[in-house]
Parts: sequence; structure tokens; C-alpha cells
Amino acid sequence: MRVARRLSVNTRRSVKFLPALLLAVGLVLFGTAAAQEHDPNAVINLATNADPTLNPWAPGAVIESNLINTILFEQLTRYSPEDLSPSPALAESWEASEDALAWTFHLRDDVLWSDGEPFNAEDVAFTFNDVVKDPDLGAQSANQFAAVDHVEVIDDYTVRFVLNTPFSALPYYLASYAGLLPEHVLSQVENPLTDTTFNKQSPVSTGPYKVAEFVPGSHVRLVPNENFYGAEPKLAGIVIRVIPDTNTQVAQLLAGQLDLVGRLNPNALAGVERNPELEVLSQSQNIFYFVALNFDDERFQDVHVRQALLTAIDRQALIDALIQGYGTVATGPIAPLLAALHNDDVEQHAYDPERAIELMAEAGWTPGPDGILQKDGESFVIDMPTASYAELTPASLLIQQFWADIGVQAEIETIEWNAYIQRVILERDYEASVAWWSMPPTPDVTPYFACSAAHTGNNIPNYCSEELDDLLAAGRRALSAEDQQAAYFELQEFLAIELPYLYLWHPNIISVVRDNIEGMPAINAATAFQHAEEWYVAP
Amino acid sequence: MAERSRLLRKILRQPLGIAAVCGILLLVLLMIFGPGLYPHEPNRTAPLATLQAPSAEHWLGTDELGRDVFARILAGGRVSLAVGLIAMLVGLTIGSVAGAAAGYYGGWIENLVMRLVDVFMAIPAFFLILVIVTSFGNHPLMIILTVGFSFWSQMARPVYAEFKKFRNAEFVEASQALGGGNLRVMARHIFPQVMPQAVVLATLGVGWAILSEAGLSYLGLGIQPPLSSWGNMLQNAQAYLWLNPMLAVYPGIFIAVTVLLFNLLGNALRDVLDPRG
Amino acid sequence: MTGYVANRLAQGILVLFLISLVTFSLINFAPGGPSSLVSMESTAEQREARLRQYGLDQPAPVRYLRWLAGAVRGDLGDSINQGLPVERLLVQRMTVTLQLAGYAMLLTAVFGILFGVLGALHHNRWPDHIVSVVTTLGMSVPNFWLGIVAIIVFAVTLGWLPAAGNATLGGGFDLSDRLRHAVLPAGVLAFSLMPNVVRVTRSALLEVLASDFVRTARAKGLPQRGIVWKHTLRNALVPVISILGLITTVLLSGSVVIESVFGWPGLGRLAIDAASGRDYPVILGVTVMVGALTVIVNLVVDLLYAVADPRIRYG
Repeated sequence: MRVARRLSVNTRRSVKFLPALLLAVGLVLFGTAAAQEHDPNAVINLATNADPTLNPWAPGAVIESNLINTILFEQLTRYSPEDLSPSPALAESWEASEDALAWTFHLRDDVLWSDGEPFNAEDVAFTFNDVVKDPDLGAQSANQFAAVDHVEVIDDYTVRFVLNTPFSALPYYLASYAGLLPEHVLSQVENPLTDTTFNKQSPVSTGPYKVAEFVPGSHVRLVPNENFYGAEPKLAGIVIRVIPDTNTQVAQLLAGQLDLVGRLNPNALAGVERNPELEVLSQSQNIFYFVALNFDDERFQDVHVRQALLTAIDRQALIDALIQGYGTVATGPIAPLLAALHNDDVEQHAYDPERAIELMAEAGWTPGPDGILQKDGESFVIDMPTASYAELTPASLLIQQFWADIGVQAEIETIEWNAYIQRVILERDYEASVAWWSMPPTPDVTPYFACSAAHTGNNIPNYCSEELDDLLAAGRRALSAEDQQAAYFELQEFLAIELPYLYLWHPNIISVVRDNIEGMPAINAATAFQHAEEWYVAP
Repeated sequence: MAERSRLLRKILRQPLGIAAVCGILLLVLLMIFGPGLYPHEPNRTAPLATLQAPSAEHWLGTDELGRDVFARILAGGRVSLAVGLIAMLVGLTIGSVAGAAAGYYGGWIENLVMRLVDVFMAIPAFFLILVIVTSFGNHPLMIILTVGFSFWSQMARPVYAEFKKFRNAEFVEASQALGGGNLRVMARHIFPQVMPQAVVLATLGVGWAILSEAGLSYLGLGIQPPLSSWGNMLQNAQAYLWLNPMLAVYPGIFIAVTVLLFNLLGNALRDVLDPRG
Repeated sequence: MTGYVANRLAQGILVLFLISLVTFSLINFAPGGPSSLVSMESTAEQREARLRQYGLDQPAPVRYLRWLAGAVRGDLGDSINQGLPVERLLVQRMTVTLQLAGYAMLLTAVFGILFGVLGALHHNRWPDHIVSVVTTLGMSVPNFWLGIVAIIVFAVTLGWLPAAGNATLGGGFDLSDRLRHAVLPAGVLAFSLMPNVVRVTRSALLEVLASDFVRTARAKGLPQRGIVWKHTLRNALVPVISILGLITTVLLSGSVVIESVFGWPGLGRLAIDAASGRDYPVILGVTVMVGALTVIVNLVVDLLYAVADPRIRYG
């Protein structure tokens, strides 16, 4: 009894300290863990194919520059890592007017450019009024903002986009490679899109990292932007290395000298997949490859012919052969990526060469003595120019064979890129051609399907239909989620039957990342790069 | 008679040369009749059967679009050989005519032609070809003309030297006195003297032309797909090094063997016809 | 002598002017335009606006004169596709190509002369035959294919050497790293250039070995080695120098393809990209630069002749 009492006094005193001790130990452990959560000295090495042009609106420099410009130049909106919907970036909130002809954006008031100057509405107005909408400058993707008439400055931190036609997808397009430019720097130069000091040396930017060094032909080195408005960047730096050759990129990934390749050719994956430290990310995009059939050609005005030509192609085989299976068959222009708005339940036109021949017969085309389809003495020969660029030529060759199997003869001509654009895209001098569209994750496909865009805009097949125009307009007017779904489901049903384009496939973009890099949203590359301040390297 | 038998003995002492002739004949026969006998077409794609290893069905396997590699080698061989031979003939013709004119007539023609030869020999052939092909496009005919054209200066010099040597020879003067036109003199009397050298250069030139076309097509500036040549087969193959490296090996072996045969023949001819050249 | 050099330089400048004129005329035949100025989304107005920005809507003679006016002042303009001044690009790329050419030339000269001497000294015996085989192979095997095979063997399969590139980036200048990257491309280039050097060295040496003064020296009892090194080589040097000069031209051509195979960012790659991307200022800049290089090299070679052979003198 005596022992227990003595113990109880001492123990009671010790016990009183115990929770405090445990708490203290707990805090220390937690604190250390938190401090070791990321390696503060880590530098990430990325690869790009050519010297980037550090200006999001500069003409021509797209693939090698896009992702870097996304890190550097913040936009009004950016994609949400959950569902790609527009979420705040430099704009905190926005609303559309009643008639959907104006959008007002409320900007953050705490943003500084990397040179210390404050960001405000003047920069937005300058970017859109003086750069994007100036036809003489030829800004990249200016067409996407054709519906914007001009931008008004309401006050230092409020702007209004005045539209000439309803454009419900404006916030989506503002999140798609639409970085803002510094008015105080670029209004002083002769041409804001070709200023070498800005584009190739030391741009002024708002993103979490800024340019410290640009050695042409070698690399661009980014360091944390101390003026960044958001969370403090967790890396000591990012180095973007210029490596034009895929084999070299793979070799350096394997050797540990590169940590991220944003856009790897699927054929080179065999070398990478064996390495346990490298993670392969296959991200779908709102891109679709298609065969454009020129609607000016009478033969293609018959929907049976269009459907037959699509049914004759084994699209899954194309995907397997050309991009090693990293893609999905496209049933329309809207990718499954846009989960809420993608309509699975449409005409599939599954591969069926016999059915294709039947459809052709319905249109009046029957096999001639040499096996080629003919009608009224005319053989079905298609002039199919293609460019020696990426998968365009191999895809054209495979499709040529599929069409030959049903009796359609396609004549392929490989042209150099600029001449191809001139001939096929600008002059529409073709009968069929394989190409692709890359769009922001919005279902609004008006620029590519509207009658007004035929012959002069991006409606390459020159397809024209009042019914389609009505469906597109309905989509643009729809502001609520339910209205949008209804409108765009109907649109997709129409598009799947009418086939203004022959939809081929949605490619996945393959990225390879070292597995110790964390904090990158996995949904797609653009979103990952829009959240560069969240990247870190595990210790 | 003795002349001919001496020549024959010289020829027989060139086993490599004889082997080369046989090899070339075999190759040509293969290129002409092969495509008809081998059951597969070079341009028939089969996206479900890509990058297959050699088998009884496909002797050298299939490429990235499922096309039979051996069939493409045969088709490509036709193109590469044709380009090589015709390009060489183009260069031979231009070079001979220019060199002959320069050597025979002398004067300002000589100056002009030889200055041109100097300029053309000074320009690295590839850059010249690059600019021309970019400007005028890569239709096979254009490639042939371009490759041939960059070869002419090599032909011109020796032809020029020979014609210059004989310009004032007695038999030339005599022939002219007898009323023989200049062309006649050049063709009947002087040219045969130049023949041996020309033949050797021409044979070696075929090899050089084949290599040039292969390089051009490899860079994507020569024969364009879907037409296959050994050079552009190599271009496609480099993208697939990690998946199927043999695609890059086969066309190269054929190029090497073909050029080797022509070079061996050229060497043998040189030993027989023009030992001091 | 100075008069001769001045004369040659003047001729050289004339040649450069002609080259630029011819190149400019040729590339204006090419259809299309600079590749960076158009994309899938381009409209006709956009394309025209961009052409106007670069002065490409002006008639050809005006554009050429403008370029010429800049060129004589040393301003070769800006690259359309890359946005950088042409001179900067040229210097950067040229350093890389010169490195490749330097390594290759070294290997070519060393092994070429070595094999040539071997062949001549053991004329018609087995070392000569081996040399013969190697040189014939060198002339027959496409060097870019050999490069690809070398990559497959040494980089992809064995992993001993890098698959591409001229240096591992990020460090300063590391000689051993540079050499590792240079072994395959320079070796492959040298393999295809060596035959010429071997042939010329061998025949020159043979001629000298058979000549009178060598027989005299032998008769006097001088050792073989002394004869070879003291008398024969110096006399055989003249044709060797000439062939090395000729090779420079071939080297610049050959490096174009090898740079593509091994991904070296050199002048050849620049030329190809500029040609296929229709980057007019760069095409002109490269052709003029290559022309200038050739003129200078030819001049140096001719001067070396004078040094090597006292009988040659330029008035």
C-alpha cells in the first residue's frame, strides 16, 4: 500500500508531463517530416525539340515553346486539375452579361511582373487589343478570339471583353496558351511579337519561375520568381534543354540527365519502359485527327459516300500501327476527355469493308473492270496531298490501302509543310487530306464547322449546313451545365451521321517523368504546366 | 589480234573485276525480274502486321507500316540503280562536252569552262544539291539531274586535259586539211584516247551517284515516299532504332554491296585500261 | 607573294558574290515559304501579314539588294524561323562543325598517311592487300549508314558510347565527355575519307621510292628508315597536301549527313533545316559562309604547296 501511494504521487507528476512530452515529440517529428517533404535544392531538367520562343503569341513557334510559355506567362484562367473546367488564375472571378455578348473579369490585385511592376487591366487590354486583334501582327491562334471585338478597361483590376457574337467558351479559350503580355515592356518596342530581347533572351513574366539564362541551341534556365503572387515555388530551378533528336532524348532520360520529356514519340518508348525510375504518362487531349473531304467536290456531297469512306478504314489498326496504341478511335470532334459533354451513344461507323462497298453502291458507285469503283464512266480517283510532317504521310499511306481495298484509288503526293498549308489549308486545292485539330477542352467547335468558316476560315472541308450552324449557335448560347449537355449531345449526334470530317483518332500525349517528381496534375500536360508552382522533388 | 589477246589476258588477271561484273549482272537481273517473281508488293501496307521479324512468308520481315521489306528493297533497288546510272550518264555527258569544248577550242571557252569547273569543285557538293533540290522540288527526274550535275566537274578535267593535248597534234591538222569537220575530229580521233579514263571515272561515278542519292533521300530531300529508294528506307528506319534496328541494316547492306561492286569493277578497269591514271 | 594572295582574295570575293546571287535566284523558285509563318489555323490574311513583316512581299531583286546591302556591312539579317541573328547562328553552328571536321581530319590524315605508307612500303604483299580492302570498303559503304549501325552496336546494345549529341549538357567544357561524343561521328567520317588519302600517299610514295635519288641513297648504304623519313616523305607531301585540301570540300559535305545521324547541332543541320523550312536569310548566310571557308582553305592549300615544294613560286 505504502509503495503504491509513493508511486502514485511520483507517477502522477510524471504522467502530467507525459502528454506534453508526447505532444512535443509529435510536433518535432511532424515538423521534420514537413521540412523534408521536398528537396529545396532540386533542379528539374526538361527537353524540348528546338529553341523556344518565349512569347505565347509569337507566330509559328508552337510545339517547342508552348509548355515553357505556360510556366512563364500566367493567363486569366487556367484548367482545373480535376475536370479541366476554367478556374481562377490572374482573374479571380468572371461573369457573362445577360445577352452573353460581354464577359467581365475581375483581376487579382496582388500580382507583380518579374521585374517588379504591378500587373493590371492595362496588360490585358494591351495583349488583346494591340497584339491578338491586330491583323498585321499575325498572332498565333488569333482566330480563336474572332468573337471578341475588343477589351475595355473598367478600372485597374476589372476588364470587360466585348463580343460581336455570343461566345460561352471564352473562359476555356483564355486558359489555352493565352498568356498575358506586359504592356509596360512591349508597348515600347517596334513589334511586340518579334522582339529578340524579349523572345530569345529575357522576357518579363508573371509565372512562378522566370528566365535566368537563355543560351541558344543549348538551354533555357528558369529560377524561382521572387515576385510571384501565389504559393512559393518549391524547386531551385528548371532547366529546359534543347535536344532536337528523339533518340538523344531517350538516351539522356535513361542516363539520368533528363527528368521530364513532355512529348515523346511513342516509338521510342521501348527504350524507356524498361527503366523503373521513369514513369510513362499517357494523357488524352482534345485533339482529333481526321480526313477532310472537300465538300466542293460533288462526289463527297453524298453522305453515303462519306460514310462509306469512313467505314472502310480500320481506325484501331491505324492507332496501333502509327502511335503504338496510344490513342482512342474518334467518333466526333469532342474527345472523351470532356467526360460530361462527350456523347458515347452516336453512330460509330465501325470498320466493315463490305458495308462500305454497299454504301458506295447505294450512292451509285459500282466496281469497274479494273476493280476501281466507277459511276457514269468516271473512276473514283481521289487527289490526296499530304505533308512530310509527323504521322500525316504514314496515315495517308495506310488509308490509301484501306480505300484501295474497296475500290477507291487515292493518289498521294508528299509536299513540304509550308507549301502544303498554302495549297490545302489556304487554297483548298485538294480532294481529301489527313490533318488534325488541336482545341482547348471545350465542346465549342464552331470555328471548325461553321458555314461562315468555310473557304476562308478553319472549316477546311468547306462543309456548309444551316442545321449545323443552328446547333452550334445553340451550344454557344447554353450557359448552364444541363443546357450545354443537351445542346452538345444533339450536336454530336448530327456530326456523327453527317460526317463533315471523317474522324480518325484522338491521340494521347506521352510524357515521361522521373518518379521522384511530385505535384504535377496528371490530367494533361497543359494543366500540369499551369500549376508549376506545385511541383517538387521528393527527397 | 595480238592487241586483243593482250587485253584479254589483262582482263583475266583481274579476278576481282570479273567477280564484280558477275555481281552487277546478278544484281541487275534481280532488280529487273525479282519484283515479278517475289509474291509481295512493296507498297501494300498492313497495319496489323508491322515490324515483324524475317520469316518464310516475309524474307526480311515487315516495316513500320507492315510493308514487306524485301519487296521494298527490290523496288528501292530499281530506283537507286536507275538514279545512279542515269545521273552518272548526265554528269558524263555534260562533263565530256564541256571538257572537250574547252580543250579543243581553247580561248574564251576554255577560260569560262575551267573557271566554272573551279567554282563547282570549290562548292561542297551537298550544299549545292541541297539548294537545287529545295528550289526545284524532289521529283525523281530532278534528283537525277541534280546528282548528275554535281558530278560533271570531275569528268570535265581529264577530258579537257586530253583534248588540249591533242588540239595541235599533226593528225588533227591533217584531218582538218582534208575537210573533216571539228566534231568529226573530236569524235573519231581524240575521244577514243580519252575513253579509258572516262570509262573508269564513269564506273566509279555510278557508285558515287548511288551514295549521293542515298544520302539525299536519307535526309528527306531526295526520293519521296511512297516511292521507295534505299536511302529513304534508311530515313524511316532511324525512328524505329529502339523497336527494330534491323530495318536500318538491310538497305545499307544493299547499298554497300552495290557500290562496292561498281568500285571493284572501276578499279579493275583502271588496272586494265589506264594503269597510270 | 602578297600580290598573289591579294589577287586570290579578290577572286574569292567575286566568287562569294556569285554564289550568293545564284543561291538567292535558285531558292526563289522554291514553292512555299518559311515554315514558321504558317500553321494549321492560318488564314490567308494572317499569312500575308506575316510575309509583309519580313519583307517577303517585295519583289525578288529588291529583297536581294537589301540583303546584299546588309551583308557588305556585316549584317546578315535575322533567321525567320528561329528569330536569332544569322551571324550568331552561324558562329555557334560553325564551331560545332569545325570540331567535327577537325577530329575527322585528324583521324583521316593520321590513318590515311599511315596506311598509305604501309601499302607503299609493302607493295603488293599482304599488308598492301589489307589496306586495299579497307580503302575499297571505305569508298563503298555509305557513311551515314555506318553511323547508324555504330549507334545500334555501341550505344543501343552495348551502351558504351552516347547515341547522339556532341556533348552532355550542363557542365562546362569536359574534354573526355566531348571525345566520347566525337569518337563515332568522326570515326565514321574518317573511314569514308581515308581512301583518298591512302591512295595518293601510296602512289606518291611509290613514285619517290622508285626514283633516282632514293636508289642513290640506298646505294650509299643509308638505312631504310632514314631514307623513308628524311627524303621520301617530304617529296611525297605535295600531292598529299592537295588531297587534304580537296577533302575539306568533301568533309563539309559529308558532315552534313553525319550531323543528322548523330544529332550534332552544326552547320550542316542548320543548312538542312533552313532549306526545308525555307529560312531564306539563313540559307544565304550558310552558303556564303561555306563558300568563304572553301575559298580560304583552297588559298591556304596553295600556299602550303609553295612551302612544301621550293620549285613552286607565285609571282
